Amino acid sequence: LTLLFPRTAQSIDLSAEYGYDEWLVGRFIQYVPDIRDFLAKMEKAPVRYIRVNTLKTSIKDLAIRLQSKGFEFKSTSIPEVLAVKKASISLGATSEYLLGHYYIQDLSSCIAVEALDIKPNQMVLDMAAAPGGKTTFMAQKMQNSGIIIAMESNGRRARSMSFNLARCGVYNTCILKTNAVQAADKLEIKFDRVLLDAPCSCEGVIARDPTRKRSHKPEDVDYCSKIQDNMIESAINHVRPGGILVYSTCSFAPEENEMVVDRILKDYSSVSVEPIPYGINGLVKFGDLSFADEMIDTRRLYPHLHDTTGFFIARLRVN
Amino acid sequence: LIYSKPARNERTIINRALDRWGAFEYFKDKHFVVGKYDRGKKAFVFLVNEKLEQVASDLADPYSVGLAIGELGKKQFIPSIAGADLFARHGKRNEFYIIVSEKGEKLVLYGRDIMGDSITEASDNLAENELVIVLSRASDAIALGRTRFSGRLLFQKGKVTVSTITDAGYYLREEGQP
Repeated sequence: LTLLFPRTAQSIDLSAEYGYDEWLVGRFIQYVPDIRDFLAKMEKAPVRYIRVNTLKTSIKDLAIRLQSKGFEFKSTSIPEVLAVKKASISLGATSEYLLGHYYIQDLSSCIAVEALDIKPNQMVLDMAAAPGGKTTFMAQKMQNSGIIIAMESNGRRARSMSFNLARCGVYNTCILKTNAVQAADKLEIKFDRVLLDAPCSCEGVIARDPTRKRSHKPEDVDYCSKIQDNMIESAINHVRPGGILVYSTCSFAPEENEMVVDRILKDYSSVSVEPIPYGINGLVKFGDLSFADEMIDTRRLYPHLHDTTGFFIARLRVN
Repeated sequence: LIYSKPARNERTIINRALDRWGAFEYFKDKHFVVGKYDRGKKAFVFLVNEKLEQVASDLADPYSVGLAIGELGKKQFIPSIAGADLFARHGKRNEFYIIVSEKGEKLVLYGRDIMGDSITEASDNLAENELVIVLSRASDAIALGRTRFSGRLLFQKGKVTVSTITDAGYYLREEGQP
């Protein structure tokens, strides 16, 4: 399934220069804009972000408290999210963090929640929720009204999520420790919003974990793509008419992104892609593969263009 | 955990605790469910909203529902750190509180007991063996404690005068545990 491309002088040179397996760079060359800038950016520590938890404090109050401790911030495209310019101590070591006044979370994750266009009192399903960063942002946007059903199959991760929800003062959420596909199929509820931040091969976080340059294999993409196909189909069946599904991954691989969404568009005529005002257009071609024209409205976030981890977001409206 | 609405006697114990920390007014219209485990011998109280309260009992075997605000005993309600935070945030804060210094705050957040030297203020007339919410200088609830002394003796130097029952550092220390 994973498309591989013939070796070229460029792919061989760049993979040697930046320490990647050649197959991966060979694929990046096909679709990543400004490939050299991209690879150079992936060598640098990613920008760190915090998301202010407005269930417990205000942006202004938190900024004042942390500035008095030697932190400096820059605003971002999302008002609750601040980019950290200077940190006097570890972001996870302040009393404000322990008290749930903020969550350490990449801007890209917050954009996925923004794409859901969540309103108070809605019914929301979060299908792969742990460790709960997006769940807590959703709860904050809902001001603890409505209901979020958050699913996580791994017991340890579910426990970790329950701590994060408690720390952030979230009380509109029910955690189900269960396989999302099996459980969702048993649920008879239709949701206004469904978030599927799918398990993925995590190509987008190579800057945080450079071992992935070599440990990441084409089979990982194949494996994740199959899981994602199952999950998105289950997710789409739980969106009420008029509702929204946001599908996201932290992978660059088109097989985990556009290809997954493209299959859904082919199988469900009631589903359409809606644009969101972040990132750059999704792919309509990859190698000899063509995707639906609508795929242009899906979004890709790149470290060298958007100062985020690599991310893919598709907002799907079910009509 | 099996979740249900609080029974009348359970609601009375919860209300008594809310009243104790001056938070009854804020919580009087809020919704709670009680989650029981160990064959009903142990129970936690969860804050939920009205919608979640309606759905909670219909969901098969939820891992958690809402926000655990404390443990419910036969006669007493012991707040969790999330409960203490809500009480401090929305309560009148006139009884059963102590305030600690910056140094004390750091130690408490590591789960350490509280020395009299670290206490800068305490509610009037605190007795021995009393549950108290521990506040930072910024008025954040950072812990729940139990007094070992009464009144002015809480401030005596060189002695632990309040035992820490739970603290806000708990989440981080326990998060990675199996």
